[in-house]
Amino acid sequence: MKSVAPFLIGLFLSAAAFAAPTDTSAPAPPELPAPQQFVAKDKPGDSGGAVLLTWTDPPAIPAGAEIEVLRAQAPAYEWQPIDLVKPGAGRYQDTSAKDGVDYRYEVRVRPSSADSLAGVMPGPAVASDPVRSHDNWFKIERTNSFIASAIFVAIILTSIAAARSGKEIFIRRIAGLNAIDEAIGRATEIGKKVMYIPGIQSMDEIQTVASLAILGNVARSTARYGTDLDVPNKDPLTFASAREVVRSAYLAEGRPDLFREEMVNYVTYDQFAFTAAVSARMTREKPAAIFLVGYFFAESLILAETGQSTGAIQIAGQADPTQLPFFVATCDYTLIGEELYAASAYLSREPVLLGSIRGQDIAKGILILIAIVGVVLASVHVVDISSLLRTQ
Amino acid sequence: MSVDLGQLVLVLLFGLVPIIGIVLGLNSPGLRSRIPIWVAVFAGLIPILAMYVPKSFLSGPTGMSQRLDDWLIILAGFALLLGIVNVLQNNLRKIARKESGWFFSVVLLAGLFVTGGAGIYGALTKAGIGFNPDGSSTPFKYLTDWFFQPLQSTIFALLAFFMASAAFRAFRARNVEATILLIAAGLVMLGRVPILEFLAVPFPSLHSTAAGVSQAMGKLTEWIMDVPNGAAQSGIIIGAALGAASMAIRVILGIERGYLGLGRGE
Amino acid sequence: MRRFLERLLGLDRRWIFLFVLLSVAIPIIVPIGLPVTTTESTRKAFDFIEALKPGDTILISFDYGPSSAPENDPMAEAVMRQCALKKIRFIVIALYPLGGLNLANNAVAKVAFEFPDLKYGVDYVNLGYKDGASAVMRRMGDDIAGAFPTDQKGTPLARLPIMKGIASVRQVKLIFTVATGIIGEWWITQVHPQAGTPVIIGPTAVSAPKYYAFLNSGQLVGMLGGMKGAAEYEKLLRARYPEMARFYTSTHDFTATKGMDGQTVMHLIVLLFILLGNSAFLLSRRGMTR
Repeated sequence: MKSVAPFLIGLFLSAAAFAAPTDTSAPAPPELPAPQQFVAKDKPGDSGGAVLLTWTDPPAIPAGAEIEVLRAQAPAYEWQPIDLVKPGAGRYQDTSAKDGVDYRYEVRVRPSSADSLAGVMPGPAVASDPVRSHDNWFKIERTNSFIASAIFVAIILTSIAAARSGKEIFIRRIAGLNAIDEAIGRATEIGKKVMYIPGIQSMDEIQTVASLAILGNVARSTARYGTDLDVPNKDPLTFASAREVVRSAYLAEGRPDLFREEMVNYVTYDQFAFTAAVSARMTREKPAAIFLVGYFFAESLILAETGQSTGAIQIAGQADPTQLPFFVATCDYTLIGEELYAASAYLSREPVLLGSIRGQDIAKGILILIAIVGVVLASVHVVDISSLLRTQ
Repeated sequence: MSVDLGQLVLVLLFGLVPIIGIVLGLNSPGLRSRIPIWVAVFAGLIPILAMYVPKSFLSGPTGMSQRLDDWLIILAGFALLLGIVNVLQNNLRKIARKESGWFFSVVLLAGLFVTGGAGIYGALTKAGIGFNPDGSSTPFKYLTDWFFQPLQSTIFALLAFFMASAAFRAFRARNVEATILLIAAGLVMLGRVPILEFLAVPFPSLHSTAAGVSQAMGKLTEWIMDVPNGAAQSGIIIGAALGAASMAIRVILGIERGYLGLGRGE
Repeated sequence: MRRFLERLLGLDRRWIFLFVLLSVAIPIIVPIGLPVTTTESTRKAFDFIEALKPGDTILISFDYGPSSAPENDPMAEAVMRQCALKKIRFIVIALYPLGGLNLANNAVAKVAFEFPDLKYGVDYVNLGYKDGASAVMRRMGDDIAGAFPTDQKGTPLARLPIMKGIASVRQVKLIFTVATGIIGEWWITQVHPQAGTPVIIGPTAVSAPKYYAFLNSGQLVGMLGGMKGAAEYEKLLRARYPEMARFYTSTHDFTATKGMDGQTVMHLIVLLFILLGNSAFLLSRRGMTR
């Protein structure tokens, strides 16, 4: 008997609806179509927190209509509008989704708030299956970068393996590195100190790491010759590392007695205060040899020009092109670009390190080839490969 | 759960492994010296993996890679303390021994304590390092505005003087390459600024000619900067980037040890 | 003659310093008012911002210190004024450790004073300074609030109307980095590939040559190279918005356009010295070969 009551009420309402007078004077408002092929899935290749919705716009979508995206969350599944998308987009990313929570999505065509479709009701909604966002194992948009990196690493490792097997590797002469002993020898002869500035960047800068490797070699030479060494620092982490490098070098040469803590000293964190202090030290103490190797900025010319005016032999090295012109103009020798990174291999002549330099050159050759092929293909309008190489 | 995994791995890699290594290495210096290499290997691998693996325990906002970045900032803060201690030690020694220039050490230490004190005062009084509520400057801001900024600008301004003297000395037509460099530099210097208009100021009849030539020079300068300069810069940047990547691989593989003070045969 | 040439070649650099000082100081005291020609890189930057719509949001990062303020300040101010006139919203941050925040505060205060209609938190916001430049940028690529939980006054970002709909730098229409040193480059090499947001840079003149490579590769939208770039921007701004003249005609305020007078005279002096040095060098070499 209980189930009959709603049926009777429904019947009554239907009858009332049929009995209501219909307005034949006004045309029925156009019905908006529903989007098609609607799919909601976790956004692939991300760290989670995003759901990707895709659909196809219905044909003959009227002007002034837009797509409304609604979301409902488990367990209540109450629909909330979350955004409006212009027709033609065909996709939407819900970046406010929480990982591990079930959501359902709906899309429907509706008139935009201020247009000619005023009064028209939204079209039927298309709902998705429940979906939840999660983090993924691979970033798809970085596939090209991953393949390139894998090839690069493979080339380097193969070259290192070849070097280990005893294959002779030629490395061209680098004048700036050959001059290191000459500079230290000169300082020893005239009894003045060697100054080594490892740039002004921290240890997260690979140029600083390369510079400290060279510092190790310089410190070994000063330890061997008994020449005084001065390493002023701007960055505290570099300072701590540089001190260990110099200490180890003196220990390795069997001259720990010559190592003094103040050889490697901290000056200040401010770039130009550091510049002023070191320039003043150069002018006062007139070191015989000055090494400016690492990452320098505007202070490069001030330091190098001051060093030049004191008559010191100067060796500079930087991979960033910005300050290179200044070093070239004011220093006796300059390590340009990748020469800085090749320094530790060049100085130590260790086959494994030399192997990596060879691998790097092979990779460069491949890049040049790709660039030439790319330029030719794009010039003759065959295909533009730049989009393949674009990293995200 | 996934965040915990990241934390656990980090603690294992950077906490337990070094401690176990040090303990085991007490009687084996060779083993002890390998620990920093392993630390560098892990610290290098994690951000690279995070580039390609978007798992939140690795590359999420509280993932391992992000935490390593945060640790670096904290480490740098403590290392700065180490630096300040070193500055104190060196300068106090200079003053105690009355070495030459000891008075400058007094000025340096006074600057260190006054500026540092002003910053700490701002923190303690909650006035900060900017403006007071009444719009006046806090002591720290006063020092920054009237001492620090003018001093910084002064040292940077020295560049203009040194650039001129270096250009005078270095730009000599010694050989073909140097002559090309000299000509390119001259053209760029002429094209970047309205020198011809300046020279034509006393001669009104030459104004339009000077402007025309200056514009042509400007276009030539743009071409030099865009094409030959742009190409050379790209070459150096790409070459250096490959060198840096190769160096990074050497560091990560533990082949490159010079930066740790571990050279040949160790 | 030979002695004269030798003396010229070994000229005490303090003479050069004296001429440089005079060539820069005199035009600042007595401005000449030389014309400025615009370059493509600056025009591209200007046009990009001009094409933005009212209500769009951009990020302005103060990545320089007091040392290069005369070059960089006019760039930051010009772009902020353009935003204020075009009703483009701007989020200000500072990543340069020593003095970047102070410069940002000064520039923001100056422009806010010039445009009293600008509402803090709605039209612009100052998020202050955060240490760790590249780490901060990478975090902003995913989540601005993760890097800057509050603005400089301590207001949580969620309570600032300007931040509505801006969760990461992906949602801002442009990153404008006013830079000295490496921080500006990181926006191009680390954030642009990650977030895809267009970048315009205002570097010092010394760094500008490097960025042509990034302009050519499309990683940069535009560039204001040094004081010259800033002066060009001021010219474009005045041409497009004549009402801007009031900011650039005052005799008290320093502008890049005024700075270009000194730079022009100094270029001339340096060129003359190079010419003199080479003449002496070539004559002395000819003398030696004879």
